[in-house]
Amino acid sequence: MGMKHTIKVINRMEADGIIGRYAIGGAFAAYYYVEPTVTDDVDILVSLDEASGATKAGLISLAPIFSYLKAAGYEEFRQGGLVIEGWPVQFLPVADDLDGEALVQANEVDVQISESETVKTRVMRPEHIVATCLRVRRTKDFLRINQFLEEDAVDLELLCNVLDRHDLKPAWRSFCRRAGMTDPYEVGSKT
Amino acid sequence: MNDAPNRTYPDISDILALKAEGRRERARLSYGEKIDMVERMRERLAPFKRAREERRARLKAARDHD
Repeated sequence: MGMKHTIKVINRMEADGIIGRYAIGGAFAAYYYVEPTVTDDVDILVSLDEASGATKAGLISLAPIFSYLKAAGYEEFRQGGLVIEGWPVQFLPVADDLDGEALVQANEVDVQISESETVKTRVMRPEHIVATCLRVRRTKDFLRINQFLEEDAVDLELLCNVLDRHDLKPAWRSFCRRAGMTDPYEVGSKT
Repeated sequence: MNDAPNRTYPDISDILALKAEGRRERARLSYGEKIDMVERMRERLAPFKRAREERRARLKAARDHD
Protein backbone atom coordinates (compact mmCIF):
# COMPACT_ATOMS: atom_id res chain seq x y z
CA MET A 1 0.00 0.00 0.00
CA GLY A 2 1.18 3.57 -0.65
CA MET A 3 1.28 6.32 -3.25
CA LYS A 4 3.28 4.26 -5.75
CA HIS A 5 0.53 1.63 -5.72
CA THR A 6 -2.06 4.40 -6.00
CA ILE A 7 -0.35 5.40 -9.25
CA LYS A 8 -0.51 1.80 -10.49
CA VAL A 9 -4.28 1.71 -9.87
CA ILE A 10 -4.76 5.01 -11.73
CA ASN A 11 -2.64 3.74 -14.62
CA ARG A 12 -4.88 0.67 -14.80
CA MET A 13 -7.95 2.94 -14.91
CA GLU A 14 -6.43 4.79 -17.84
CA ALA A 15 -5.54 1.54 -19.62
CA ASP A 16 -9.07 0.23 -19.05
CA GLY A 17 -10.56 3.41 -20.55
CA ILE A 18 -12.31 4.49 -17.34
CA ILE A 19 -10.43 7.77 -17.46
CA GLY A 20 -8.68 9.52 -20.31
CA ARG A 21 -5.21 11.01 -20.04
CA TYR A 22 -4.31 12.02 -16.50
CA ALA A 23 -1.61 13.97 -14.69
CA ILE A 24 -0.73 14.35 -11.04
CA GLY A 25 -1.38 17.90 -9.81
CA GLY A 26 -1.28 19.73 -6.46
CA ALA A 27 1.27 18.98 -3.75
CA PHE A 28 2.35 15.63 -5.19
CA ALA A 29 3.14 17.29 -8.53
CA ALA A 30 5.12 19.97 -6.72
CA TYR A 31 7.25 17.27 -5.03
CA TYR A 32 8.75 16.41 -8.39
CA TYR A 33 10.34 19.86 -8.57
CA VAL A 34 10.76 21.17 -5.02
CA GLU A 35 11.32 20.07 -1.44
CA PRO A 36 8.38 17.93 -0.25
CA THR A 37 5.96 19.22 2.35
CA VAL A 38 3.18 17.29 4.00
CA THR A 39 -0.15 16.73 2.29
CA ASP A 40 -3.26 14.67 2.95
CA ASP A 41 -4.46 13.85 -0.51
CA VAL A 42 -3.59 13.33 -4.16
CA ASP A 43 -5.01 15.54 -6.92
CA ILE A 44 -5.42 13.88 -10.28
CA LEU A 45 -6.21 16.14 -13.22
CA VAL A 46 -8.13 13.97 -15.62
CA SER A 47 -9.68 14.03 -19.05
CA LEU A 48 -13.09 12.42 -19.16
CA ASP A 49 -14.21 11.59 -22.64
CA GLU A 50 -17.57 10.37 -23.85
CA ALA A 51 -16.29 6.83 -24.39
CA SER A 52 -16.02 6.34 -20.64
CA GLY A 53 -19.65 7.39 -20.17
CA ALA A 54 -18.51 10.15 -17.85
CA THR A 55 -19.81 13.07 -19.89
CA LYS A 56 -23.29 13.64 -21.15
CA ALA A 57 -24.61 16.84 -22.68
CA GLY A 58 -21.83 18.90 -21.09
CA LEU A 59 -22.38 17.47 -17.63
CA ILE A 60 -19.63 15.56 -15.93
CA SER A 61 -20.24 12.53 -13.76
CA LEU A 62 -17.60 10.75 -11.75
CA ALA A 63 -19.97 7.81 -11.24
CA PRO A 64 -18.18 5.50 -13.73
CA ILE A 65 -14.90 6.12 -11.88
CA PHE A 66 -16.42 5.43 -8.48
CA SER A 67 -18.24 2.32 -9.62
CA TYR A 68 -15.06 0.94 -11.24
CA LEU A 69 -13.10 1.57 -8.07
CA LYS A 70 -15.83 0.14 -5.86
CA ALA A 71 -15.68 -3.06 -7.89
CA ALA A 72 -11.93 -3.08 -7.29
CA GLY A 73 -12.49 -2.81 -3.53
CA TYR A 74 -11.97 0.93 -3.06
CA GLU A 75 -15.04 2.57 -1.54
CA GLU A 76 -13.87 4.56 1.50
CA PHE A 77 -14.20 8.33 1.15
CA ARG A 78 -11.91 10.53 3.22
CA GLN A 79 -11.28 14.29 3.01
CA GLY A 80 -13.38 14.54 -0.13
CA GLY A 81 -11.39 11.87 -1.93
CA LEU A 82 -11.78 8.18 -2.61
CA VAL A 83 -9.08 6.27 -0.75
CA ILE A 84 -6.87 4.25 -3.13
CA GLU A 85 -4.04 2.30 -1.51
CA GLY A 86 -4.08 4.52 1.57
CA TRP A 87 -4.28 7.93 -0.13
CA PRO A 88 -7.48 9.96 -0.64
CA VAL A 89 -7.55 10.72 -4.37
CA GLN A 90 -9.50 13.64 -5.82
CA PHE A 91 -10.27 13.32 -9.52
CA LEU A 92 -10.41 16.82 -10.99
CA PRO A 93 -11.86 16.89 -14.51
CA VAL A 94 -10.34 19.38 -16.93
CA ALA A 95 -12.38 22.52 -16.28
CA ASP A 96 -10.75 25.18 -18.47
CA ASP A 97 -8.06 25.83 -21.07
CA LEU A 98 -5.32 26.04 -18.44
CA ASP A 99 -6.19 22.55 -17.17
CA GLY A 100 -6.33 21.25 -20.73
CA GLU A 101 -2.90 22.66 -21.57
CA ALA A 102 -1.45 21.38 -18.27
CA LEU A 103 -2.71 17.89 -19.03
CA VAL A 104 -1.40 17.82 -22.60
CA GLN A 105 2.04 19.17 -21.64
CA ALA A 106 2.52 17.17 -18.41
CA ASN A 107 5.93 15.57 -17.89
CA GLU A 108 6.27 11.81 -18.23
CA VAL A 109 7.93 10.47 -15.09
CA ASP A 110 9.26 7.07 -14.00
CA VAL A 111 8.80 6.34 -10.30
CA GLN A 112 10.91 3.58 -8.80
CA ILE A 113 8.82 1.17 -6.73
CA SER A 114 11.57 -1.35 -5.97
CA GLU A 115 15.04 -2.26 -7.23
CA SER A 116 13.52 -3.96 -10.26
CA GLU A 117 10.20 -2.18 -10.78
CA THR A 118 9.27 1.30 -11.92
CA VAL A 119 5.88 2.79 -12.62
CA LYS A 120 5.20 5.47 -15.20
CA THR A 121 3.08 8.51 -14.47
CA ARG A 122 2.62 12.12 -15.54
CA VAL A 123 3.23 15.21 -13.47
CA MET A 124 2.06 18.72 -14.30
CA ARG A 125 4.84 21.08 -15.45
CA PRO A 126 6.05 23.64 -12.88
CA GLU A 127 4.70 26.58 -14.89
CA HIS A 128 1.22 25.05 -14.86
CA ILE A 129 1.45 24.28 -11.14
CA VAL A 130 2.30 27.93 -10.45
CA ALA A 131 -0.42 29.19 -12.81
CA THR A 132 -2.98 26.92 -11.13
CA CYS A 133 -1.89 28.26 -7.73
CA LEU A 134 -2.50 31.80 -9.03
CA ARG A 135 -5.97 30.77 -10.15
CA VAL A 136 -6.90 29.06 -6.86
CA ARG A 137 -5.30 31.74 -4.62
CA ARG A 138 -5.37 30.17 -1.16
CA THR A 139 -2.62 31.04 1.31
CA LYS A 140 -0.97 27.66 0.75
CA ASP A 141 -0.99 28.30 -3.00
CA PHE A 142 0.97 31.52 -2.51
CA LEU A 143 3.43 29.66 -0.29
CA ARG A 144 3.89 27.07 -3.03
CA ILE A 145 4.57 29.77 -5.63
CA ASN A 146 7.21 31.25 -3.33
CA GLN A 147 8.78 27.83 -2.94
CA PHE A 148 9.04 27.37 -6.71
CA LEU A 149 10.59 30.81 -7.12
CA GLU A 150 13.06 30.41 -4.25
CA GLU A 151 14.19 27.02 -5.49
CA ASP A 152 14.48 28.23 -9.12
CA ALA A 153 12.13 25.41 -10.04
CA VAL A 154 10.15 27.37 -12.61
CA ASP A 155 11.21 28.77 -15.99
CA LEU A 156 10.09 32.41 -15.80
CA GLU A 157 9.91 32.84 -19.57
CA LEU A 158 7.69 29.79 -19.96
CA LEU A 159 5.65 30.92 -16.96
CA CYS A 160 5.11 34.36 -18.54
CA ASN A 161 3.82 32.69 -21.70
CA VAL A 162 1.38 30.58 -19.68
CA LEU A 163 0.20 33.65 -17.73
CA ASP A 164 -0.32 35.53 -21.00
CA ARG A 165 -2.29 32.73 -22.61
CA HIS A 166 -4.61 32.29 -19.64
CA ASP A 167 -5.16 35.92 -18.57
CA LEU A 168 -3.37 35.46 -15.28
CA LYS A 169 -1.13 38.53 -15.46
CA PRO A 170 -3.28 40.57 -13.04
CA ALA A 171 -3.22 37.71 -10.52
CA TRP A 172 0.55 37.45 -10.97
CA ARG A 173 1.07 41.19 -10.38
CA SER A 174 -1.12 40.98 -7.30
CA PHE A 175 0.96 38.05 -6.01
CA CYS A 176 4.22 39.99 -6.59
CA ARG A 177 2.87 43.01 -4.72
CA ARG A 178 1.70 40.82 -1.85
CA ALA A 179 5.05 38.99 -1.69
CA GLY A 180 6.95 42.28 -1.88
CA MET A 181 8.98 41.08 -4.86
CA THR A 182 10.01 42.69 -8.13
CA ASP A 183 7.82 41.36 -10.89
CA PRO A 184 10.15 39.29 -13.12
CA TYR A 185 7.51 39.41 -15.81
CA GLU A 186 7.78 43.19 -16.04
CA VAL A 187 11.57 42.94 -16.04
CA GLY A 188 11.38 40.51 -18.95
CA SER A 189 8.87 42.57 -20.92
CA LYS A 190 11.09 45.70 -20.85
CA THR A 191 14.13 44.01 -22.38
CA MET B 1 14.30 46.37 24.15
CA ASN B 2 15.81 49.85 24.56
CA ASP B 3 17.12 49.12 28.06
CA ALA B 4 19.56 46.49 26.72
CA PRO B 5 21.16 48.16 23.71
CA ASN B 6 24.48 46.32 23.96
CA ARG B 7 23.08 42.81 24.06
CA THR B 8 24.83 40.56 21.58
CA TYR B 9 23.33 37.55 19.90
CA PRO B 10 25.06 34.47 18.54
CA ASP B 11 25.71 34.31 14.83
CA ILE B 12 23.39 31.64 13.46
CA SER B 13 24.23 32.12 9.79
CA ASP B 14 26.01 28.73 9.73
CA ILE B 15 22.90 27.03 11.08
CA LEU B 16 20.69 28.78 8.54
CA ALA B 17 23.10 27.87 5.73
CA LEU B 18 23.01 24.21 6.81
CA LYS B 19 19.22 24.26 6.87
CA ALA B 20 19.14 25.79 3.38
CA GLU B 21 21.55 23.12 2.12
CA GLY B 22 19.28 20.45 3.67
CA ARG B 23 16.31 21.92 1.78
CA ARG B 24 18.29 21.86 -1.46
CA GLU B 25 19.37 18.26 -0.85
CA ARG B 26 15.77 17.18 -0.25
CA ALA B 27 14.67 19.03 -3.39
CA ARG B 28 17.27 17.02 -5.37
CA LEU B 29 15.95 13.60 -4.26
CA SER B 30 14.30 11.41 -6.87
CA TYR B 31 10.52 11.50 -7.15
CA GLY B 32 10.27 8.02 -5.63
CA GLU B 33 12.42 9.05 -2.66
CA LYS B 34 10.28 12.14 -2.13
CA ILE B 35 7.10 10.06 -2.19
CA ASP B 36 8.59 7.73 0.46
CA MET B 37 9.55 10.77 2.51
CA VAL B 38 6.03 12.23 2.38
CA GLU B 39 4.54 8.89 3.45
CA ARG B 40 6.89 8.70 6.45
CA MET B 41 6.07 12.35 7.25
CA ARG B 42 2.35 11.59 7.13
CA GLU B 43 2.78 8.73 9.61
CA ARG B 44 4.82 10.87 12.01
CA LEU B 45 2.37 13.76 11.80
CA ALA B 46 -0.74 11.63 12.32
CA PRO B 47 -0.81 12.11 16.14
CA PHE B 48 -0.46 15.89 15.72
CA LYS B 49 -3.25 15.91 13.18
CA ARG B 50 -5.51 13.92 15.49
CA ALA B 51 -4.72 16.34 18.35
CA ARG B 52 -5.53 19.33 16.10
CA GLU B 53 -8.84 17.81 15.03
CA GLU B 54 -9.76 17.03 18.66
CA ARG B 55 -8.90 20.61 19.65
CA ARG B 56 -11.05 21.99 16.84
CA ALA B 57 -13.93 19.73 17.89
CA ARG B 58 -13.62 20.93 21.51
CA LEU B 59 -13.59 24.59 20.40
CA LYS B 60 -16.61 24.04 18.17
CA ALA B 61 -18.48 22.29 20.96
CA ALA B 62 -17.67 25.17 23.33
CA ARG B 63 -18.88 27.74 20.76
CA ASP B 64 -22.06 25.77 20.10
CA HIS B 65 -22.66 25.53 23.86
CA ASP B 66 -22.34 29.35 24.21
